[in-house]
Amino acid sequence: MTPATSRFVAYGFASVHDALAAESALASAGVAVIVIPSPRVLGELCGIALRVDPASARAAESALEVAGLPPRASAEIDDL
Amino acid sequence: MTDAPGAGAANSARSCIYLDHSATSWPKPPEVVDAVVNAMTACGANPGRGAYSMALAAARLVFESRRACADLLGVPDARDLAFVSGCTEACNLMLKGLLVPGDRVVVSSMEHNAVSRPLHVLSLGGVRVDIVQADATGTVHAGDVERAVRAHATRAVICQHASNVTGAIQPIGDIADIAHENGALMLVDGAQAAGHMNVDLAALDVDAYAVSGHKGLLGPQGVGLLYLRPGLDVAELLQGGTGGGSSEEESQPQGRPERYEAGTPNTPGIAGLGAGARLWLAHGEEWRAQEQRIFRGLKEGMSAIPGVTVFGPASDEPCVPTLSLVSDRMDCDRIAFLLDRRYGIAVRSGLHCAPWAHRTIGTLETGAVRFGVGYGSTSDDVAAAIAALTELLA
Repeated sequence: MTPATSRFVAYGFASVHDALAAESALASAGVAVIVIPSPRVLGELCGIALRVDPASARAAESALEVAGLPPRASAEIDDL
Repeated sequence: MTDAPGAGAANSARSCIYLDHSATSWPKPPEVVDAVVNAMTACGANPGRGAYSMALAAARLVFESRRACADLLGVPDARDLAFVSGCTEACNLMLKGLLVPGDRVVVSSMEHNAVSRPLHVLSLGGVRVDIVQADATGTVHAGDVERAVRAHATRAVICQHASNVTGAIQPIGDIADIAHENGALMLVDGAQAAGHMNVDLAALDVDAYAVSGHKGLLGPQGVGLLYLRPGLDVAELLQGGTGGGSSEEESQPQGRPERYEAGTPNTPGIAGLGAGARLWLAHGEEWRAQEQRIFRGLKEGMSAIPGVTVFGPASDEPCVPTLSLVSDRMDCDRIAFLLDRRYGIAVRSGLHCAPWAHRTIGTLETGAVRFGVGYGSTSDDVAAAIAALTELLA
């Protein structure tokens, strides 16, 4: 049986402060967000990263742009 | 209401009449104590070093404390505030991180050893230090700074925001304008200011500003802040782990605030400082008015004691709630000792780590007795101190 998979978008930031500021900005914009350990694919930009549903990615990136906190890296990842 | 903030429940446990707020605030507000305990119990993980729940809770404590401090100090981007071990580290960082051999600085004669000693080290390495004399009240005059700055090319003007000896408030905004008009940086030791006075760093337009966390801001000892203007390149004094950034890189991350926060932070201290900042945000106007009213009573009462000379601005001049005095009838150390032993009044005699300031006001040889009021001080405390000193010197 093939395990069910889903995907998420991970955003990396330059610092823990920026990541938490971005979490706050996304929450204010109504975007559901989870803080996760930074996935290796993001290049270890930070000890933590933000996880967002792909369906919310556009809204998330827009909110981060408005907040002046554009992610330093992002990746769409399989959540196995 | 006649009492200062905190004069209720916090004072019931007091063991003395505490008038040494210029050294450190005591008692601490219960909100600060609770924040420290919470940081050590519920949020005791290492902030920014993991993504598990308690580590994130600790990271959020640091994050929210930084935001509260930025709101209180008028800093638009909280990343421009670095947590450090105290105002002394902040002063060392802004001075040693900016000045290089060949630089010339203009500095006030009222500075604390947190500034004068790093400058002494820098002067041995080739930084020229020119001192601008304050007046007998401890006030620095912008015109005197301007003459000194214009005399020679100047890298930085360094001045305290308020005196830890006389309470004088320096005209930092005017001095910053003079510094910038002449191509110099404006660096400020704000140890005695934040909390006791409204500090708006954006309005002051300074380049660096050092803050104590445990004095007027009511946090625990061992924590402070350094504000750096956006874009100002100040070399870090320490390198090490920061949690974020690219750990595999050999060099220290250059982004703020991590560049200046190598090593595990003082999370309990930072949490307590954040709680203090939130209290000032909520009650600042009311609390400052109460402090000033109680302090005026202290100053007027002490000034009326025969043989006592009180140093500092006139009673109707703005100042932080600190004064120093001498008596022609008893040495300062004896006054402080007897106030403690006979009356349970805590004050500090001596030079208050500020020999430059005491030289300026003429008390380098005798020292002085310093009184400072703050959170928890009451009108009754001040009345008791005046009565005690009057009796001692009768």
